[in-house]
Amino acid sequence: MSNAKTGKSRKHAQFMEFWRRFQKNKTAVLDLVILVIILGTALFADLIVPYAKCIEQVGADRLQGPSIAHFFGTDEYGRDLFARVVHGSRYSLLIGLATSLMALIIGAILGASAGYFGGWVDNVISRIMDIFACVPPILLSLAVVAALGTNLQNLIIAITVSCVPGNVRLIRSVVLTAAEQDYVEAAKSYGTSNARIIFRYVLPNAMGPIIVNTTMSISDMMLSAAGLSFIGMGIQPPSPEWGALLSNAQTYLFTAPHMLLFPGLCILFSSLAFNLVGDGLTDALDPKLKD
Amino acid sequence: MKKALAMLAAACTLTMAVSFGACAEGKTDLVIAVDADVDTLHPTDFSTTVELNVLNQIYDTLMYMNPDGTEEPEPRIAESYEISEDGLDYTFHLRNDVTFQDGTPVTAEDVVFSLELYKESEYQGSQISMMVSAEAMDDSTVVCHLDTPYAPFLEGIVSPFICSKAYYESDPDAFVTSPMGSGPYKFVSRSTGSNVILTANEDYYRGAPAIKDITFEVIPDVATKAIALQTGEVSFAEVDSSVLAQLEANPAITIDEVSTSGFAYVSMNTEKDSFSDPLVRQAINYAIDRENLVQVCYDGKAEVNSNICAKHRFGYSDEQQQYTYDPEKAKELLAEAGITTPYDLGELLVAEKYSNLATVIQNDLKAVGLEVTISVKEFNAYISDLTSGNYDITALVMTLEGDTQSLEMAFITDYIGTANNARYSDADMDDLFNQTRVETDTEKRAELFNQILTKAQEEAIYAVLCNPLTLYAYSSELQCPEFPLEGNYYIYDFTW
Amino acid sequence: MSKYIVKRLLYMIPVLLGVSFLVFTILSLTPGDPGSIILGITAKKEDIAALNAEFGYDQPFLIRFLNYIGDIVFHFDLGTSYATRQPVLDSILARFPNTFLLAVLSMCLSSAIGMAMGIYSAVRQYSAMDHVCVVVALVFASMPSFWLGLMLLILFSLKLGWLPSFGASTLRHFILPTLTISLPSAAGTLRLTRSTMLETVRQEYIRTAKAKGASNRRVIWKHALRNALLPVITSLGGGFGASLGGAIIAETVFAMPGMGTLMTTAIRQKDVPMVMGATLFLAVLFSVIILIVDILYAFIDPRIKAKYQNGGKSRE
Repeated sequence: MSNAKTGKSRKHAQFMEFWRRFQKNKTAVLDLVILVIILGTALFADLIVPYAKCIEQVGADRLQGPSIAHFFGTDEYGRDLFARVVHGSRYSLLIGLATSLMALIIGAILGASAGYFGGWVDNVISRIMDIFACVPPILLSLAVVAALGTNLQNLIIAITVSCVPGNVRLIRSVVLTAAEQDYVEAAKSYGTSNARIIFRYVLPNAMGPIIVNTTMSISDMMLSAAGLSFIGMGIQPPSPEWGALLSNAQTYLFTAPHMLLFPGLCILFSSLAFNLVGDGLTDALDPKLKD
Repeated sequence: MKKALAMLAAACTLTMAVSFGACAEGKTDLVIAVDADVDTLHPTDFSTTVELNVLNQIYDTLMYMNPDGTEEPEPRIAESYEISEDGLDYTFHLRNDVTFQDGTPVTAEDVVFSLELYKESEYQGSQISMMVSAEAMDDSTVVCHLDTPYAPFLEGIVSPFICSKAYYESDPDAFVTSPMGSGPYKFVSRSTGSNVILTANEDYYRGAPAIKDITFEVIPDVATKAIALQTGEVSFAEVDSSVLAQLEANPAITIDEVSTSGFAYVSMNTEKDSFSDPLVRQAINYAIDRENLVQVCYDGKAEVNSNICAKHRFGYSDEQQQYTYDPEKAKELLAEAGITTPYDLGELLVAEKYSNLATVIQNDLKAVGLEVTISVKEFNAYISDLTSGNYDITALVMTLEGDTQSLEMAFITDYIGTANNARYSDADMDDLFNQTRVETDTEKRAELFNQILTKAQEEAIYAVLCNPLTLYAYSSELQCPEFPLEGNYYIYDFTW
Repeated sequence: MSKYIVKRLLYMIPVLLGVSFLVFTILSLTPGDPGSIILGITAKKEDIAALNAEFGYDQPFLIRFLNYIGDIVFHFDLGTSYATRQPVLDSILARFPNTFLLAVLSMCLSSAIGMAMGIYSAVRQYSAMDHVCVVVALVFASMPSFWLGLMLLILFSLKLGWLPSFGASTLRHFILPTLTISLPSAAGTLRLTRSTMLETVRQEYIRTAKAKGASNRRVIWKHALRNALLPVITSLGGGFGASLGGAIIAETVFAMPGMGTLMTTAIRQKDVPMVMGATLFLAVLFSVIILIVDILYAFIDPRIKAKYQNGGKSRE
């Protein structure tokens, strides 16, 4: 009972220490605020502007610049770009978060097994990952999308597949280091189950780099989705995903530059926010950088 | 925003300065942007418009005919032709001054070889598939034998490029990689993914061309191509309507709009219950605001037309019904068909590049109480669903070039599984197309096509939307004669 | 050492086989067949079937795969493209130099920018310039690269007229694509350099050096930098891979004939031999680069060299 309590308060103290250091990084805090705004937009999109506005086509209002009626202007169908950008945040964030999370889970399972068990398990997993790592990620995504078809779900699968190898390698190496620690030896000698050791002791202690990597990969994933849209293999209309909005706007570069500007800025800011938060986390979580 | 506009304005002035400063006098080279790589320069086994546009400069044909077939053919390698009374033998008399680019004369042997190569090719062939054999009577006479009379045979026979048999036999690889024809331009080099370079054939029998050097540069991206036109790096290109406003505003660039017989249309799977009733198909025809669709999807650069036959084509007549935007009428027809709205029509399947059509159509259908869900597929997946009939309703663009006879692909039973996307099957329709195939009297043939198209419109087999225009943007100093229909261009006719 | 290299080279064989199988499988799952893709919707069924038979595409999956591997192993033949009907190798060799040059230039530029800014940031940790460096690098890292490419194109080609907008015929054509690839990827190197530098600076021997009165500059250049750059060099291999990936987008924007545009077109056309050939080509290249980086690393870091000499891989 009292043990648990001290455990809790120790965790609490750890968190406070982390938070103190994180706070010191003003840009990271600012970006956390931006992130909260973006997440809020995604969650409460319907309250900000009804979805109907996203798809309502007003032929007379085509390709208009920003105005009071249309904050971000309109697209080639005469749809309100602001509404589309607001609702698009859901798709873009979903892609970023879902792919990073899936890649993390798969990476954790494979990477931790490889690192912890070593031997043939490590060999098999590492060799398979070597194979995946030999194909440039965007080509792998491209081929997977071509095979499965272009929709949100397949896009998430395609992007996840392409970034699993990196995750596995990272987690494997982190786990390798963690698994050699004394407390793991100790746990082993008590006869604790492997799964429990991995998830209770090894992974949590290897969490720092993994969290940082995942945060930053959210940004990469959003950019990958945009890149795939550009090559014409991304998420398809009428979904207002930011990358799709952006690559569509590309042909209207001259006549309606606002179509390129607003979705572009949204991708830029949200991806920058994830990156900077990740950067702040690196400094805050890395004990070696303590001053 | 402002900055971007200022940048663009600055760019305009810059290009103007560059192109007005440069003197076009004495300029003899031309850079053309094309939107895809040239995969092959085989004279028959090619499949894309880009390849055709390059080959058109290198090779010559027996005759030249405006693609709609309304005018008499102009002589090229053949100076005259005769058709036997039974319509089964076509005799072509060749000029005797035509040589290949290696100096050897073009003989009847070469023509026979070329026609056979063309007929055997999986890539082409359908245009002259009714030809049983070709025969060289002497060095300058070729006879084509048909087994049944085929009215539009001449339109087919002007397509095959005439190539050298000797060259093919001496080096089959070079025949493809380093093509040699009798046209106004000689092949110089090709750099895969990058460009194809041609140079003037000074010995061309119609006289040496004015433009001496041509480079076809591959620029797939729409925006990049528009920029290259404005910087003057490229002097001639087919462009997308979305960049037109910017190019039009630039005095150094001229835009030409060329009519085509290609058509954007909605195909409804008549094998599905929802679309088996002509009333529903008529209602859909009335429900779509074609004027708006042309604005949105083609920036106004398409001719509204609900008839599958383009207005310039043989067989078109204003008597054939035109569907215009009338949502009230559409609702009445739906009520008459016993449909209570809102009604779910199922999936509106489109390929990625036609999703803009789908977006507009979905909106229009919704206004009359018809719901569709848009499903976008990658092009190849889409085509296999389309041809196998695994769809409800779709929108796409198709081109059925050549004689009006080619429209049969959209209507007759034999083509279900390929281009008859409505999967429409009607004995009367099949029979009408069999008649147009053999009828050689122009007036009677026009009347038969009138019957066909009237029937197609009455039954609303398709909901045809418009004929998109081909847009050419080129340096204002370049003199281009009027482009033929379908927009095939011949650099031979261009001058600086 | 040579034993190690041979071992690594041999190890590439199963990996490449795996890559072949992986890509071949994915491709065979893509819808459509080459015949109907090439001939289009108005083609006759028998023509499509004839063309597919000509390509050998009428055979079952496993047979096609084994034939393909067989041709490579026994005839050193990467096959004939469905689209061009010419040897795949010709197309690859024509385009590969562009992509290779682009990737190398991008890797160098991005490492140079990243290291320079990283060192600067580390030396001035927590200064205003440190923040500026990090933020600027991350801003570039947060842009979709085609967006960046387009903006560069508008600025330098359209507005200023300094640089060509498309193609790959001269070195000048490579400037914009190189920037498009390297600006976003510099952030990674920056971050790595900065953190390893900071880490090294705190090590005992640096403190000792400082205590011994070595000048700050000397400490940074002589001691800290050398040690800090080790992990950065290891990351170069990965950086090359990333540059190859970035090349695909940049080549599309700047209409540059390279492996990226080759492969995207081939994937769409279901040109199996072309996709396979190009993938294998890149995979070999990538593996070789990784190997070179590893060897380089061993030469720089004597500890690792010792490990190799003791026989192969040890778990690090």
